[in-house]
Order: sequence, then structure tokens, then C-alpha cells
Amino acid sequence: MSLAQYGFQKLVLLNSAGYSRAELPLDDSVSIIAPNNTGKTSLINALQFLLILDKRHMDFGAHSVENSKRFYFPDNSAYILLEVLLPSGMAVIGCVGKGLSHDYEYFAYQGSLDLDDYRLDDGKLVAQPKLIARLFECGKPAKIYPQADLRALLYGNRQKQRADDPDLTIFPLEFTSQAATYQRILTRTLRLDRLDSKEVKNYLLEIFKHDLQDRNVDFKSEWDKSFADVNYDKSQYDAVFRNQALISAMEDSQQTRQALRGKIILWRPLIEQALNDWEDYNNSTTEQLRLRLRTSDEEAEALENRQKTIYEDRAEAKTVLKGYEKIESHYQELIIQFQFVSGIAQLQNQRQLLQKQRDELMRSIGNAEQQQSLGAINRNIAKITKEKVDLQRQLQSINNNLYLQLQKLLPTDSFEFLTRLLAKSVLSLPIDQAHAIELNDQTALRSFAALLESRLSANRLELPGLLLDLSALEPNLIIKTAQELEIEISDCERQLLELNALLNSVETLSQQKQNQQKLEQQIAELTNDEKNYEELLSLKVSALERSPAIEALKQKLTLLERETSKLAEQKKAILLAQEKHKADQKELLSQHQRINTARQQRLDQQPPFTILEQLPNFACMDATELAMPTLADRIETYNRDCYKLKQIDEQLNQQLAGLHRDGVNKFQAQDTAEQELDALFNYTAQLSQEQEAIERKARSAVVQVAAILRDLRDSLETFKRRMREFNNKINRRQLSDLKVFKIEPREEDTLVRAIQTLISTSEQVESGNSFDLFDQNTVLDDKELNKAKDILIKEGEARGGLRVEHLFRLVFIIAKENQTPAEFEDIDSAASNGTVLMAKLITGLAMLNQMQDSRKAIKTACYLDEAASLDQRNQRNLIEIAEEFGFTLIFASPEPQITARYCVPIGTTKGKNHISRLNWQILESLADVDN
Amino acid sequence: MILDFTALTQLQPLFKLLSSGAHLNRLKDTELWLELENFQSHYESLFAALGFILVVDGRGFAYFKTELASSYTGKLTRRLALLIMLLFEYQADQGLHLFQFQQWRLDTSLLDHLWQQYFALFEAEEINSQKALKDILDSAARVGFLVSDDDVYYLLPAVHRYLDLFEELAQAERSEHIKEDLKEDIL
Ligand SMILES: Nc1ncnc2c1ncn2[C@@H]1O[C@H](COP(=O)(O)OP(=O)(O)OP(=O)(O)O)[C@@H](O)[C@H]1O
Ligand SMILES: [Mg+2]
Repeated sequence: MSLAQYGFQKLVLLNSAGYSRAELPLDDSVSIIAPNNTGKTSLINALQFLLILDKRHMDFGAHSVENSKRFYFPDNSAYILLEVLLPSGMAVIGCVGKGLSHDYEYFAYQGSLDLDDYRLDDGKLVAQPKLIARLFECGKPAKIYPQADLRALLYGNRQKQRADDPDLTIFPLEFTSQAATYQRILTRTLRLDRLDSKEVKNYLLEIFKHDLQDRNVDFKSEWDKSFADVNYDKSQYDAVFRNQALISAMEDSQQTRQALRGKIILWRPLIEQALNDWEDYNNSTTEQLRLRLRTSDEEAEALENRQKTIYEDRAEAKTVLKGYEKIESHYQELIIQFQFVSGIAQLQNQRQLLQKQRDELMRSIGNAEQQQSLGAINRNIAKITKEKVDLQRQLQSINNNLYLQLQKLLPTDSFEFLTRLLAKSVLSLPIDQAHAIELNDQTALRSFAALLESRLSANRLELPGLLLDLSALEPNLIIKTAQELEIEISDCERQLLELNALLNSVETLSQQKQNQQKLEQQIAELTNDEKNYEELLSLKVSALERSPAIEALKQKLTLLERETSKLAEQKKAILLAQEKHKADQKELLSQHQRINTARQQRLDQQPPFTILEQLPNFACMDATELAMPTLADRIETYNRDCYKLKQIDEQLNQQLAGLHRDGVNKFQAQDTAEQELDALFNYTAQLSQEQEAIERKARSAVVQVAAILRDLRDSLETFKRRMREFNNKINRRQLSDLKVFKIEPREEDTLVRAIQTLISTSEQVESGNSFDLFDQNTVLDDKELNKAKDILIKEGEARGGLRVEHLFRLVFIIAKENQTPAEFEDIDSAASNGTVLMAKLITGLAMLNQMQDSRKAIKTACYLDEAASLDQRNQRNLIEIAEEFGFTLIFASPEPQITARYCVPIGTTKGKNHISRLNWQILESLADVDN
Repeated sequence: MILDFTALTQLQPLFKLLSSGAHLNRLKDTELWLELENFQSHYESLFAALGFILVVDGRGFAYFKTELASSYTGKLTRRLALLIMLLFEYQADQGLHLFQFQQWRLDTSLLDHLWQQYFALFEAEEINSQKALKDILDSAARVGFLVSDDDVYYLLPAVHRYLDLFEELAQAERSEHIKEDLKEDIL
């Protein structure tokens, strides 16, 4: 043992924790020995007041801090004192009770711990109010320190110390900022209850904090920051891409608009001038047209009049001509009629002849009309003819007829009687062989006549059934003489001739009457003919004058006809002219109205037309002549153009607003909408370059984000390296029977890989590969990259930032000889109690050691309660390891642990524990003794 | 320990998820996982009081340990075990590291290959089509063994349970071998 070693020397309790007095060596390993429930643990725990200081971190197991205060500081003369050898010399750090409140306060001074300093002559302990004075008396100017100040003092935090304070640094940390962690680990190490991987992880993170770029990476905000531009550009790009068709239509509209503006600019002054001139033009043209129309009307009227005259003349001439022609044709007819007539006398002779015939006829007709009727004449003829025949027969049969025979044969009465009965013709019948009558038996005849006579009485003939009076009957035949007969016959013949003539004339009477009429007619005709003939003669005379007159009339008519047709043409021409003038008038009127309307409808008096020249436009190259008659059309076209321009203005504005709504706002910063459009069109035209630019930006954004992640990853790597070193540290000696005892980080694979994805993408992008990459895969569409990003954002958001500690967890890896190493998160379950205890202690000590400034090693103490659970080999190992880490080990157990240098039993008198120097048993190895 | 229920803000969703037999996965259910990270012991004792054993595996998953699986989950578990085992075997044959299973893309073509190679085994388990294979994966996704994204499945950390099981079986088999070897040596 070397005296020169800085570190704890001894712990002293006065009137505290049931000890009247306790002196415990701390310059080397100690084994406190006492039965259960004596005060071993209480003694060790007393160190907490001095080393941990902060009540919140103190831990008295089942005992609350409040109770512990009562236990440790029953009154104002209870002390816990620690003597430490520091480079600045010996020093004492103390804690004294303040009395009723069981409160306590800290003090410290340079110098060695002399228990007499705390005891008055009467053997009583110095009370807290007098302590400082007492110590001062003893030549040890002590100072009261508030807890925080003492802490600063012990942990060498010079900034929190006053200049005149002594250097009381017990825990020279590499980073004073780690004091709190150190304290916490110290508490744990002193207490050694559950120590799980999560806690170890937190401590180690604290310990290695300074090696790590311990940033809390707000990945989302980093990403958003780096990609703000890119995302914006991309959103613009996407929006424009989406709307390409619309934008191209807008570009067309803009072209049209500029052309329209040029056109309107060109025409505006011309229209203005023309409108000024219009009234005059309109008036003068109207007047002109009126005059022209009047002239035309007059001409038309004259023409009409002339036409009327012509019609009249023509009608008259036609009438005259017709008369002449009628006469002429009559004349011709007469010529034909009388072509065989040599003169009027011929006709007169004919007529007189006919008149004579007629008169003759009339006379015979008159005769005939006085005669009997035709029937009577015929009966007369027949009677006379019969008489004549009878007479002739009588004449012929004058010699031999029945009458004569009967006359000869019969009595007169009978004869007479028979002559009355028999018809004359019968009586006159000749009697000969060949005739109708035969007189073949004269006797029979006479008898018959006698019979007949008998039947006859008083001139009455009675026949059976018939009575005939004969008195009324004449004798039928009286026989005349031949001469008489001949005269009578010639009379008859004469009478017959006359009668026949009469018959003839009666029979031909109607015929004659017809003849008469015919004759009358002929006579009338002839009379007429005579008259006609006379006319013919007169016409023949007048023919000489008539034909030239006809000729003249015909000629006149032809002329009139010709003039009429000429007039019709003229009339047509005039009509056309009139129509044209009227149309012109109408047209002018309509133009005037249109112009007036258009004048009203002009839009170009307000903006934007008033400032058109200042707006982008295409100079118009139209021919700029504006003839008045075209003004109406022109101004209407002009108005339409204005209207169209206005419409395009509105439409473009709407479309632009629509684009804004759809997110295209990149160009809104331009001064004017027009410039905005231009910028937009240019942008759209170069969309593929834009895409490339965005991709480039995206890449540099990835690089930017990756840089931050690289820090995280590097930290992880550093941590892993530190952990390897740390494992080496705790493995310098074998721990119990463990072949392997390691604390290893296990990466959270998905997160680390996500980070790696981003970093390697960034590297690819930065390296020459970027162009290959560019062709295949854009950063913005990189699925894997996006997935990685999402993972990191999600994790970062859930944890309020990404830190290196999120990238791994710690596992204890433990294996005995012949075992495959197993991973544990909770070391308690990993091995036997003793082994676990040891493992925990070593881990804790190693962590504390890690924090200490190795250049200023000050040995402190740690303890292992219930040390009996470790075997001696392990105890020895543990003592050595603790030594290496700068700790002396305090064992507490009912039995002495001979591996320690000191064995300190606890004595008890009158219910009070006490330990004095005299009880200390120093164990030395034989090797040491030999020395 | 006195439990402060108000601090356990995710009690409801946590219990709902876990009691359905599903697995909570660190990366999928980040918020719940964080809650467990922060209040693990609280939840453990609370659920224990309710008769559930909460297992939080540092590899990034948590679940309720159950003794008796329902027949459905039992069947699913068996089929899924088979599928995952064959998947691991297949991937190992491809030279892939098994512990990186979270990075595997289980896409249609991979499933095709699996099917082609092992259809006899699948059919023995009444998995009669690739569709059925997918159904199993979908069911497994519902209990937190997988996530599907765009028709591609990814294994979640909870699959470690299967991997552990396989490892255990392999270990047991190995020690059997050793024993047998020893016997042979003795003989
Ligand atoms: N912080 C404390 N506050 C109040 N009383 C305490 C405190 N620490 C210990 N005691 C009391 O002191 C007595 C001794 O206890 P201690 O734990 O020191 O015994 P021990 O020697 O360590 O016993 P063991 O061998 O069983 O560990 C007990 O009666 C205990 O209740
Ligand atoms: Mg004890």
C-alpha cells in the first residue's frame, strides 16, 4: 500500500445511525462484520449523504429519506465525516445534524480528521451551532456549504466555486457536466438493485455524450427545410405539368391577344377620324342619292307617258286597219262570187225569169188549193173508171149478156125482180164459155124463177129465215143502146182525164209550194247578188285608194311596236337604276344606324384600351385604308375585336386565377399578370429542364439531409466503438465463471437502414454515378428513399426528434464456458445471484471510471452488501477490478471476508453500536508479510 | 406499486391490440411502442393484474403470452409457422442473412417461387393455392407479423418469435445429435 495514493481515508459516524461512534477505514478494501440487523448497511449508506448529497437521489431501500434523516441526525450533535487525501492535502467533508427538524448541513475544511476536534472536554459532542467556532479553535477553519455548493466543490466544478474555496475535488470528472449522471450511477452502484439494459444504455449515452454528436435531429423539419424548395418547385412543376394543355391554350390566347392589341392600336385613330367625318359623308351622300332618285323618277314618268300615247295610237291604227281589211276581204269574196258574172243585166234577166216561173206556180197552186180533196178525186176517178168499164162491158156484151138472156127467158116480173137483186156487173156479165157465168140449163132456170116467184109477194121476198122488201130496190140495169153507151164512155173518159189532171195538180201542190219558195229564195238571192254586184263595182272603184292606206297603217304599227320595246328596255334600265339608288339609300341608312349603334357600343374608351400601347402587342401590318363605305363593317369588326380582347383578358385572368388555385403560384411575384404569363409560358416550354433542375435540387437536398443523418450514423458508430472499448474494460479480468460478458448495442435495423439508404443515395448522387442514376431513377420518385424518409419522419415525430439512442438498444451478452452466448435485456435473469451482483457492480464501476479524469485519480469507495454471496476468487477479482477502476471495496456480511485488507467488526454497548480504530484487523497476504 | 392510470394514456388502444392476440411492433405502432418503453413496468403489472402476461421484446415487439391458442389462431399459427419456416429456408438457400428478415420483400414473384418449391408441403397443410398463401399472410398481417405495402409484404420484428422457436428446435436437435454422437463414441 502506498501512502501517496489520493483517495478516501476513513468514514466516521458520531451519534448517528445507532452508532455512538464508528470509524471505518476506506483506504483499502474492508470487510464489515456484524450479525444481521446490526447496522452494516446503515453504516455504508451514511456515505450517501456525503457523496450523493442530493436527497432526491439518495436511496435507503425500504426506509424513506425522511425517516433516514431522523435515523442519521437524531439531534444537533450527529455527524457523518469523511477524510480524504487530495492532491491539495488532507481534507474533511462533514455533515452535521441541526436538531429538531432532523435537518443537516454540510461543512468542509482542509486538514486531517481528528475526532477530538468534535468532542468537548466533558466528553460531549460539539453541537452544530458551535461547530465552526470549535473547529476554528482547533486550527481548522471550516466552512458551511449549501448542498449545491458542496457538490460543485466535490465534482470540481470551478465555475460554481468561489475563488477562495479550497480544491476539494473528490470526483475529478472529465466533464463536470456529467456530475449528475455520475451521481446517479454512484447511487445505483452503491445500491446495486435492478440494473437493466435500458438504464445502462442511458448512463452510457450520458457517459459517451461528448464523443457523440449528440444532436436531437428533428428529421421532419430537416427534411422539410431541405426539401422546402424542392417540394415547392416540384409542386409547381406538377401543377404546371397537370395544366399543360390549359397553359398551351392560354399561350394561344395570349398570342391572339397581342395580335388583337396590335390591330386595335392600328385602327383606333383611323376609326376615330372616320367617325368624325361620317356625318358629312352621310349627309352629302344622302342628298346625292335623293337627287339621283328624283331624276330617275322623272325619266320613268316621261317614259310612261310616251308609252301611253303609243298605246292609244296603236289601238286607233289597228281599228282603222281592221276596217280596211274587212272591206278588202269582202271585196275579195265578191270578186270570187261574181267571177262568172259579166254584168248586172245577166242577173236581172235571171231574176225576171224566175219571177215568171214563180207567178205561174202561184197560179197553179191557187187552183189546186180550190179542188176537192185528194181522196174525193180518187173515188171519183174510181167510180168513173167503173162506170166506164161497165159501160164498155155493156158495150161489149150488148149482144149476149145475162140481162138480156134473163130478159129473154124469164117473165118480166121475175126478170125485173132479178134485176133488182143482181148487181149490174153480174147482170152485165157476158155469157160464154170462158166467162164467169154459165147458162147451161134454161129449164132449171125458169123453174127456179117460178119458185122464186112463188116466194115473192107484194114485192117481198120470203126466203126461209129471210124477209126482203124489194120495193125500195131499183132495177140495177137498164140496158142502153151502143151509142148511148159510147157517148157515156167518152164522157167518162173525159171526166177521167180531168180528174187525173186535177189529181196530179193536187198531188204536186206541196212540191210546188216548195218550188215556189225556192224560187222566192233564188229571186231574193239574185236581188241580193245584184245589190252585191253593185257593191263590188263600187269597191272596185275604191280599191285604188284603200291598199296604200293599209300599207301606211301597217308601217305605223311596226314603228310603234319597235318604240314600245325600246321603251321597255329603257324602263327596265330606269327601274334598275331606281332600285340601285333605293338600295344605296337603304344601305347608307343601315350603315348610319350600324355606325351609330357601334359608336354607342365602343369599348375602347375605357381601360385597357386607353393604355393598350403600353401593353405587349404585335404591330399590325394590315393595309390601313379606311374608305367611308366600309366604315360600318370596319367599326363593327373593330368593336368585335375590342370585345374579343376584353373576353380574352377576362378569360386569361380567370384561367390564371384557376392556375393559382391549382397551386401554380411560382410566377405571381412578377410585376404584372402579363409578365407572369410570359414567365409561365417560358417555364412550361422548358418543363423538362425544370424537371432536371428540380431533380438536381432534390439531390442536393438529399445530400443536405444525409449530412445530418451521417452525424447520427457516425455517432452510432462512435458509440459502438466506445462500447467495444468499454467491453474490453470490463473484461480485463474474468468475471465469475463467465467466458463472455459484454454489453453490446443492437441496431434498430429498420431505422439504421433507412438512414443508410438516405446516406448511400446521397453518396451515389454526389459521386459520378449521378448521371446513370439520373436516367433511371429520380430522387423524388425513389420509392425506397421515400419509404426510408417516411420511417424516419414517423419515428422522429413519435419520439420528438431522432437521437442516436433511438438507433440501438443494449443487450447483455453472457456465456459460461462451453455455452453459446445469449442475449439478455435484464441482467438479473442472466445468471446466478452472485454473478449478477458482480456483473452489475463491475458495470457500474466501469461506467464511473469512464467518467473520471484519469489524470487525477482519486480513489473513492463502493460497497457490496451481502458480500457472502461471492466466493473468494470472485471477491478477489472484484477487489482488483474495483481497485483498477479507482474504488476501494467495502464488503458487508455477518462473516469476515478474508479477501479484504481490513476486517472491521461492529461492537455494541448499551444498545449503541461503535467501531473504533482498535477493532480494525489488518489482513496481509503472506507475500506482503514476507516483504 | 401504485399505478397512476392517468399517466397510461395509451391503455385502451394497447389493451385492445394486445388482447386481440396481435403483436405490437415498434416500427408499425411507434406511438404505442413508445408508451410501452416509457411505462413498461406499469403496464406489465396492470396487465398482470388482469391476468395477462405482457411480453415486451427489446427487438421491437410486444404481445400477450397465451397458454392456449384458439383453434383458429392455432391453425393460423401452424400454417404461418410452416410458411415462415419455408420462407427462411428458401431465403437461406438464396444466401440471405436470416436476421435481416425485415428487409425482405415478399412480393408475388417470391411467393411464386416459394409455392413452386414447396407446394407439396403446403398442400399437406391444406394450403392449396398461392391465393391461400396470400390469405395466410393477410391474416398474419392482422396479428402484427407482417405489413403489406403495395401488394408487397414485409416481415415485422414479431417474426423473431418464430425465429427463436426455430432456433430452439434446431438447438434441441443439435444436442440430440451430440448425445447420439457421444453414444456412438462410447459404443
Ligand atoms: N435509513 C434508515 N432509517 C431508519 N432506520 C434504519 C435505516 N437503516 C437502517 N435502519 C435500522 O437500523 C437497524 C440496522 O439495520 P441494518 O440494515 O443496518 O442492519 P444490517 O447489519 O445491515 O443487517 P443485515 O445483515 O440483515 O443486512 C435496523 O433496525 C434498521 O431498521
Ligand atoms: Mg444489511
